[in-house]
Amino acid sequence: MSESPTINDSPPSPAIAGDSQTTAANESDPNAKCQTAIQSLSSIVTTTTIPSTISLLLGDSSVSAAISSLLLRPDSGAGDNNLCRWLYDTFQSTEPSLHLLVLRFVPLIAGLYLSRVLLRQPQAGFEAVLLALYAHETTSRAGQAVTVNIPDLSHPSIYHESKGPAKNNSTCLNIAVVSSTLDPHGTVRSTRRARIVGVALELYYSEISRMPRQSKLDFCGACEKWAGGNGETRAGVVPEEEESVAVARSEKDGGRIPLPWELVQPMMRILGHCLMGMKVEDKEVKEAASKACQSLYLRSLHDINPKAILAAGSLLRLREIALDPKNQIDHTEISNDNVLSV
Amino acid sequence: MLGDQSSELSESNGENESPTLRLCANGACMKTTEVEAKLDEGNIQDAESSLREGLSLNSEEARALLGRLEYQRGNVEGALRVFEGIDLQAAIQRLQVSAPPPEKPSTKKKVPREPPQQSASQHAASLVLEAIYLKAKSLQKLGRTTEAAQECKSVLDSVEKIFQQGIPDAQVDTRLQETVSHAVELLPALWKESGDYQEAISAYRRALLSQWNLDNESCARVQKDFAVFLLHSGVEASPPSLGSQVEGSYVPRNNLEEAILLLMILLKKFNQGKAKWDPSVIEHLTFGLSLCSQTSVLAKQLEEVMPGVFSRVERWNCLALCYSAAGQTSAAVNLLRKSLHKHERPDDLVALLLASKLCSEEPSLAGEGAGYAQRAVNNAQGMDEHLKGVGFRMLGLCLGKQAKVPTSDFERSRLQSESLKALDGAIAFEHNNPDLIFELGVQYAEQRNLKAASRYAKEFIDATGGSVLKGWRFLALVLSAQQRFSEAEVVTDAALDETAKWDQGPLLRLKAKLKISQSNPTEAVETYRYLLALVQAQRKSFGPLRTLSQMEEDKVNEFEVWHGLAYLYSSLSHWNDVEVCLKKAGELKQYSASMLHTEGRMWEGRKEFKPALAAFLDGLLLDESSVPCKVAVGALLSERGKEHQPTLPVARSLLSDALRIDPTNRKAWYYLGLVHKYDGRIADATDCFQAASMLEESDPIESFSTIL
Repeated sequence: MSESPTINDSPPSPAIAGDSQTTAANESDPNAKCQTAIQSLSSIVTTTTIPSTISLLLGDSSVSAAISSLLLRPDSGAGDNNLCRWLYDTFQSTEPSLHLLVLRFVPLIAGLYLSRVLLRQPQAGFEAVLLALYAHETTSRAGQAVTVNIPDLSHPSIYHESKGPAKNNSTCLNIAVVSSTLDPHGTVRSTRRARIVGVALELYYSEISRMPRQSKLDFCGACEKWAGGNGETRAGVVPEEEESVAVARSEKDGGRIPLPWELVQPMMRILGHCLMGMKVEDKEVKEAASKACQSLYLRSLHDINPKAILAAGSLLRLREIALDPKNQIDHTEISNDNVLSV
Repeated sequence: MLGDQSSELSESNGENESPTLRLCANGACMKTTEVEAKLDEGNIQDAESSLREGLSLNSEEARALLGRLEYQRGNVEGALRVFEGIDLQAAIQRLQVSAPPPEKPSTKKKVPREPPQQSASQHAASLVLEAIYLKAKSLQKLGRTTEAAQECKSVLDSVEKIFQQGIPDAQVDTRLQETVSHAVELLPALWKESGDYQEAISAYRRALLSQWNLDNESCARVQKDFAVFLLHSGVEASPPSLGSQVEGSYVPRNNLEEAILLLMILLKKFNQGKAKWDPSVIEHLTFGLSLCSQTSVLAKQLEEVMPGVFSRVERWNCLALCYSAAGQTSAAVNLLRKSLHKHERPDDLVALLLASKLCSEEPSLAGEGAGYAQRAVNNAQGMDEHLKGVGFRMLGLCLGKQAKVPTSDFERSRLQSESLKALDGAIAFEHNNPDLIFELGVQYAEQRNLKAASRYAKEFIDATGGSVLKGWRFLALVLSAQQRFSEAEVVTDAALDETAKWDQGPLLRLKAKLKISQSNPTEAVETYRYLLALVQAQRKSFGPLRTLSQMEEDKVNEFEVWHGLAYLYSSLSHWNDVEVCLKKAGELKQYSASMLHTEGRMWEGRKEFKPALAAFLDGLLLDESSVPCKVAVGALLSERGKEHQPTLPVARSLLSDALRIDPTNRKAWYYLGLVHKYDGRIADATDCFQAASMLEESDPIESFSTIL
């Protein structure tokens, strides 16, 4: 997460220092890097024309769609897959806009990867990309945990006064770990898989305000798949659609994966953003996110996982509250007086 | 927003037809129809002059009034045209000049100034600021949010410039205050809409940290909006600037901290009755605190909420979720008992399932849990039918746990078979739930149906992609119970490959035991040497300054390593080495029944029976349910019973007791057989020996219950 530098009062990590050195060295040609990336992409994506600059490429939905459809192919995660190699190489460059370009596909990659693990397909390509993201995060926060201090209102803060004794920031506070320490990993060991993907999702969340809507929609879809069909389709069955729902269910069953907290936590943060943090109201994303939330809530009931029940349940109730017309009053509107005076 | 606008439009249209909309100033009043007609023709000049004449206003006042009229009619484009005709910046300049010069620096905002001058300047300011504010609103409605934000910001800048000393509370013009409050609230929303997040953050902080004399409700709204922004925008806000920090007060360092602080402050306001209860605040706080796994803090916040806000059952259930997520099981169970009482909400599925799950972890509660699970099964109907499987699963788990504390052997086997039946029933609903597969496997293993157990163990590893450590350990144990030690070792090695080094402790200990079982003590000791190196590395990588609680959280548990090594040496009869290792283990954890058991073994091996017996008994005093200690005392007494008949009944009762707790303990069966033999009950002895020998063929290298 990008919050790390501000959160940990640790000295700048060697990795960050290293980064700035390399950018200094390559400062003359960030454009060249982007051009190389674009050129090599054009040899992989042949169905559509690749825009000539990165900023255009970031916003180009037809290229994204082409890349997505390549990713959705059954053998896309293999070690010799060109696209995976391109994603890996592109992320290895220190150019931030190229990072964004790769992060945009994290929902699809993570979604496909975790669901395909159970099918025992070779996925060295996906793993390389995910490990690169994990390694990036590990170095950028020097392996340190991300923590927050839970405030105690008996001490005064910038936002409130209190009779209690003034204390320093560091004392008497409840420290909570938001993301635990990171050990470097060279390969994906299966017991660390969820953590590695979880960290990739944390990284995705740190840039989520710059992600296009389709990427968020992809993520919501992945969440639903991971949660598995837990009866939400059955609950909403309309008689004539029963057959198609049954088909949908069996497909959904295929993607169900174990959901430990190290995955659920970043998933919730991303869904929270899709529901309440977007700049412009986007009905489709909101709908997709609340469906994903619903699935996760049902899943957490099946797992009887109290923390996930609390988190997903609160998002669902907030959604409900927001939809209630009596909460949609605009408080910045002036009162409509019948008598206008100076 | 859009919906609001259109409803507003129709409203104001309605008002247009009604004759009540009037313009008043300086004691005169006029209807709007005539002016509106002129405005509709696009003739602002004429409309203005008719107002100036009719109400004796100056040009600025007339324009401001016209703008408001247009705005209120929903004609924001018209309003904008009117406002653009006023030179608002010049008006502000004039106001600044006319405003009293800053007084002595020591005077605070509440020092009153000369009333007449003040009210005149306030009145003029109010008119101009309202006009700018409505201009901002008009721009917002036209989708020009950046311009709107700039206008809105200029309202606040102007207020700060005109009233450098603040506005005197007692004399503040209500209309002026209204405009200021509106602008404070609108500005961050506008920056947010325009996508300028850093400006939005500073606008929020400006709203909350400067003195705007906001009423409690609007301040609460700003605080909530800011918290939501911090939680969900995905944009990391830099910490508040040093200027806003009061010495010694708490300054949040990141989004989550700031959001949680604001939400807690809001809740406190609600509790003190300073603001109207807003249900979304507690939900946001629930989200934030559960993200950082601080549900016990959340529980405290919930407990402080005034009665009457939630129904008590809702509150109990929510608290139970918080406490159970924080690991405070008994508090959670107590709350659920209340909420599931027949006079409260006895059929609440989530509460029933949670209660049964918590009870399934504790043998003494398992019976109660089975009741909850059965009720959950019965109530999972209609929309909730999909939860029936969960109910069955919990029923199976509770019954399986209950089978550990039975009143009789008959009762035990009844419970065990019912547990299996329930778990099988659950799998019909949730064939794809790996946890359920695992639990079925363990249930079979505990009943020594090793074939089924190994099938489920493999299925679990497949279904989780090998991502769960306990799956690997379980399979290795089942294989060891089948006496397939080398295969068990292969599984353990595969598991080691799939684990990062800090999680390898239990696997390595298992591996050492497997080596011993294959009569390969040197390699077993080698494995422990590696474990000790891991302990060293762990100590180094996490620094020397570690608290006790941190030691307990260590992935590779140093105590377990030394104790395991002691146990290993004891099976090799290297008693001096055992003593050294035990001393090391004792430094880390002084009181442990299992360690005392190993110490007893050591004395026993050295043929010193008194200290051996003392160690075993100490172990029992520490943990009265320690089966190894019970069996060891029983064994010692039965050996001596050859000569001293009177000790035999004691031995017998201890061994029977051990078997009640762990009916698959083959040593207990063996020594019980000996007791029967010395007492001359040969038939009983035969039965016991037979049980012992059968169990020996299916004895796992570590008890299956260590897995769950």
